[in-house]
Amino acid sequence: MIHRPVLLGGILLAVLGSLCPFLWFVLTSFKSQIQVEAIPPTWWPDGSLVFYASALFEHRLLHYVRNSVTVAGGTTVIALVVATPAAYALARLRLPGKTWILGGLLCVAMFPPIVIAGPVWQILERLGGLNTHWGLVLPYVSLTLPLAVWILTTFFHELPVELEEAARIDGCTTWQALYKIMLPLAAPGLFTAAILTFIYAWNEFFFALLILTNPERQTLPVGIALFQGEFIMPWGEIAAASVIATLPLIILVLLFQRGIIDGLSSGAVKK
Amino acid sequence: MAGLELQHIEKTFGRTRVLHDVSFEVDDGKFIVLLGPSGCGKSTLLRIIAGLEPQTRGSVSFGGQCVDDVPPPDRDVAMVFQHYALYPHLTVRENLAFGLKMRREPKPVIEARIAETAALLEIHDLLDRKPKELSGGQQQRVAMGRAIVRKPKLFLFDEPLSNLDARLRASMRVELKKLHQRLGTTMVYVTHDQSEAMTLGHAIVVMNHGKIQQIGRPEQIYHEPANPFVAGFIGNPPMNLFEGSYRLDQRQLEFLVGDLTFGFPFQAHELIGADTGTATLGVRPEDVTFGPQGPGHVAITGTIDLVENLGNDSIVHMMVKGESLMARTSFGFRQHAGESITIYVKNFHLFINDNRIPLPSP
Repeated sequence: MIHRPVLLGGILLAVLGSLCPFLWFVLTSFKSQIQVEAIPPTWWPDGSLVFYASALFEHRLLHYVRNSVTVAGGTTVIALVVATPAAYALARLRLPGKTWILGGLLCVAMFPPIVIAGPVWQILERLGGLNTHWGLVLPYVSLTLPLAVWILTTFFHELPVELEEAARIDGCTTWQALYKIMLPLAAPGLFTAAILTFIYAWNEFFFALLILTNPERQTLPVGIALFQGEFIMPWGEIAAASVIATLPLIILVLLFQRGIIDGLSSGAVKK
Repeated sequence: MAGLELQHIEKTFGRTRVLHDVSFEVDDGKFIVLLGPSGCGKSTLLRIIAGLEPQTRGSVSFGGQCVDDVPPPDRDVAMVFQHYALYPHLTVRENLAFGLKMRREPKPVIEARIAETAALLEIHDLLDRKPKELSGGQQQRVAMGRAIVRKPKLFLFDEPLSNLDARLRASMRVELKKLHQRLGTTMVYVTHDQSEAMTLGHAIVVMNHGKIQQIGRPEQIYHEPANPFVAGFIGNPPMNLFEGSYRLDQRQLEFLVGDLTFGFPFQAHELIGADTGTATLGVRPEDVTFGPQGPGHVAITGTIDLVENLGNDSIVHMMVKGESLMARTSFGFRQHAGESITIYVKNFHLFINDNRIPLPSP
């Protein structure tokens, strides 16, 4: 048996370890320029909001937030609209080679993004998708689909077929049975898939940097990374911007915590 | 008029054939039970009737009309599932209303039907609860209600009582029978429980390995089982079946198993092709008395192996020249294991080539 203090120590270490960089940034964002550059470093900020003002107004942060909301929101909606019927079909129909399809999806999800960067860029160039939001949403959707399909397939799989058959006998078409009975029951799975997709699209840096060179279109991660000027590194502004960029995710996750935990742990225990 | 007619239904999943040439008719308003061990194809047959599963061959008709191309929503049947399949996110009221709403019934009609059904099944107190807040028995009633409220042409039940405890099952059985008498709608009921089949059905279709073994009234199935399978499947405790051989001569038919020989006066030679062959002899445990010997009774002497006391009667397991045999006695049986005993068999069942041979009654 493990002693309580050891256990607590372990938990504390894990939490601090993962929170440390973030905490440092939060602290930095509330410092003044002098504090940021002080040697030795000062730990405690004096609570100045100068960097926030500068990030929001001089670096036009809200404009990047708007772009990110468009791209991440668009990705989430399209990915779910495509993934839901796909997952439903994979969970329910007697398809030949179903395991291969699911295995293939998993393999695709494992590819490092750099592998497809070249082709994606070329395709988008032909289609005129460079420097557009849909041009970024397109690869995001294809990159997040495997995960979304997997999560939803597991979910639909667990819902008893009898429910759907009862709905059919009660007078539903297949589509009506899906959205009147199955979708409300798969809500935790939909939440999980939606939030994971949204987080991916919100944080993604590599493709965003590759596809969006026009500052008018750039998303948050790219925008923040390009804060730096030729001679200065505006650490304070970057820290403030990062805090603002992270807040929506934290709020989302806290709001839907229950749903996400249900979604990720479904099937672990018999209900 | 035939409420339901099945003609030469066949079903294969891949290479496995689960239904072989199944045909029967159910008169309008009758209660028919599909009875058989698990895996015999009875549930598949029910799903074919509902339209949830397409048959490989054959056709299904309701009231004289072929429904092969009619999808389940338009067949106007209601089904009660083994695990109830209540919609978990809807209240009982919404569960009951769902089918009516899908059929675009006007609101006042829906309200009235729900009230009527709730009164019939005594579930009005549960209307605003969600299924998970109900006990198994209550869920069962709601599932029943969801079927009744629609007033369908045909009711289909897929082992609806198998998840209830024994006591509740017995009382629901009675209620179901009353319900059928009241509604007068054709019902098809799938079960592996012979007592449900015997009490509920006007007719029983006994199935095994995807084939119909016998169709008949409950008493017919019990008294005149068509083959050894039906004989062994119906009855509790099951019929004693002895695998042996027969010999036919001018005067009588002899059945031999081990060291035992039974002779029956039997003349209908054209019924049996050969003069010798293998045969199965059956004796119902309840067709046995412990004396005195009546006219035509056959005496058998053996040793008692075990006595099972069931309260109002006992089951005596005995060995007769190497063969085991069960007999049912009335209350007050006083003998014990190891003692010798003579019993008198009132009635035999004989099967040759899997067919029933009608023996003259003693």
